[in-house]
Amino acid sequence: MPGSSFIEIDLALRQGGFGLAVTVRLGEAAAVLGPSGAGKTTLLEAIAGLKRAAGRVAIGGEVLQDTAAGVFLPPEKRRLGYVPQDGALFPHLSVLKNLAFGRPRRRAGGGSDFESLVAALDLQPLLARYPRHLSGGERRRVALARALLAGPRLLLLDEPTVGLDPLRARKALAGIRKVRDELKVPLLVVTHGKQEALALASEVVLLDAGRVEAAGPARQTLLAPRVLALDGERRWENVAAARLVRHDASGGSSEVRLEGGGAITIPYTPDLAVDSDLVLAIDAEDLLLATAPPSGLSARNAVAGKVDELIVVGSSVYVRVGPWLAHLTPAAVAELHLETGKPVWLVAKTHSWRVVAG
Amino acid sequence: MMAPVTSTDTASLVLFTLAVAAAATILNLVPGVAMAWLLSRQGWRGKAVLETLVSLPLVLPPTAVGLALLLLFGRSGPLGRPLYERFGLDVAFTWRGVVLASAVVAFPLLVRSARSAFEEVDPNLSAVARTLGRTPLRAFFEVELPLAWRGVLSGTVLAFARALGEFGATILVAGNIPGRTQTLALALFQKVQLGKDREALMLAGISALLAAGALIVAEAVVHHRERTLAE
Repeated sequence: MPGSSFIEIDLALRQGGFGLAVTVRLGEAAAVLGPSGAGKTTLLEAIAGLKRAAGRVAIGGEVLQDTAAGVFLPPEKRRLGYVPQDGALFPHLSVLKNLAFGRPRRRAGGGSDFESLVAALDLQPLLARYPRHLSGGERRRVALARALLAGPRLLLLDEPTVGLDPLRARKALAGIRKVRDELKVPLLVVTHGKQEALALASEVVLLDAGRVEAAGPARQTLLAPRVLALDGERRWENVAAARLVRHDASGGSSEVRLEGGGAITIPYTPDLAVDSDLVLAIDAEDLLLATAPPSGLSARNAVAGKVDELIVVGSSVYVRVGPWLAHLTPAAVAELHLETGKPVWLVAKTHSWRVVAG
Repeated sequence: MMAPVTSTDTASLVLFTLAVAAAATILNLVPGVAMAWLLSRQGWRGKAVLETLVSLPLVLPPTAVGLALLLLFGRSGPLGRPLYERFGLDVAFTWRGVVLASAVVAFPLLVRSARSAFEEVDPNLSAVARTLGRTPLRAFFEVELPLAWRGVLSGTVLAFARALGEFGATILVAGNIPGRTQTLALALFQKVQLGKDREALMLAGISALLAAGALIVAEAVVHHRERTLAE
């Protein structure tokens, strides 16, 4: 897979009763998933050189540590943009000074990258303020900008939306996607949400109790029955990129075009501009399957496809249609005579769709 | 016999006491802050032992501390002998002994207060400073110290005030020699022994004023900084 050895990690660390042993190769947009206590944050700290683990770390071909060869760059020499959960802004410095903190001396203050990032992340009104007067969302934005201004070779983001309300989380994810796509900054994001992982990363690592449970291309890895079964809640959220086509204020809906083709309507979301990119989510529970083109239904979204796979997890069946997963009972599967290759229509109510980034 | 207390005697007594306390505080500042920072770090080997050792002067009778210092720094002591033979420096029964005794006894007060201030600084902040290109030392001066300065300052003032009133250790290491090693606290003791209660009371009053003054100044500095920061 091209570009999928940008991040090379082969680390081992013992810390009290906890052991971390991770060997993985990842591309330029990767997510680390796992339950709390799996060692996700510890892994980020070890990559940043903040925790001394044994083994090797190379980013973009540059070896940051290789303890077998006696190489261990300290954190200040690694050029990694670490953004901890709460942003960790310096409380004694204004936003402007926080932003300037990581900038190379010769470019301190001003500069075109500074101006454009301040504009892109809408930081201008915050510059004179102190961190304690910022909201959670504002703090993350400043922390992200501060890390970016230091010119990192890789961003390490720890739970970038934890504790934010849905609207702020949506904006935060959109901001990070923008950074990823427009500034082309590689990122490794730690999260416990599949939807966040899918919105930000093309590859994922599943961590459990300090070990790699699974790793690989995001959707494929997360769809593996073994991985689905790992999830205690057995809830699958379909996540898809889309573009906003038009608003219909009187109809209470907005129309979007899905990345893989197909137009659907979502709840009216006036704060999104026409043509803006967004990420949508819908629960596998909320996707209905029809074996004929649906009519006479209040559900306004139908996307044609064919059954690609039947994934059985315990007493549930996940029917995969292209990138979509619908959660059915075995009885429903039998009644509809669902089998691989059969043409189906995915049906969903407008209000089952959520915007998770945009 | 003692000469009667004159105002110039009192003035030089006050100056000497202030100078000794200031010297002891300055002497303590760098090692005290360094020790506080070290003790604020999480689990390393030997931390508990060092912790106990640092706090010992706080709980031991000051006279026991004084005795230990006398044994160490006396002319035949393991530290006092080389100091005298190499550099001709006498510690015991000189002003140096007064400074040393005050410094040792005041040290834990600075360390304890500064240490809890460092412990309150979010370790993620220095971690981020490191990833933004700072060496541990620069992260300390640019992030940790500016955030812990209040605790460091109040510890410094406490240590200074403690040094001002040091008695037990000082009298063993440095004796109570008027004009040479006598501080306010030592003079006060002497006045009481001589039955000069009024003069003793006056010295007690001066001591109280000095200590209170130090605390008030520190409070004012903290308050001023907080007001400017809040704006």
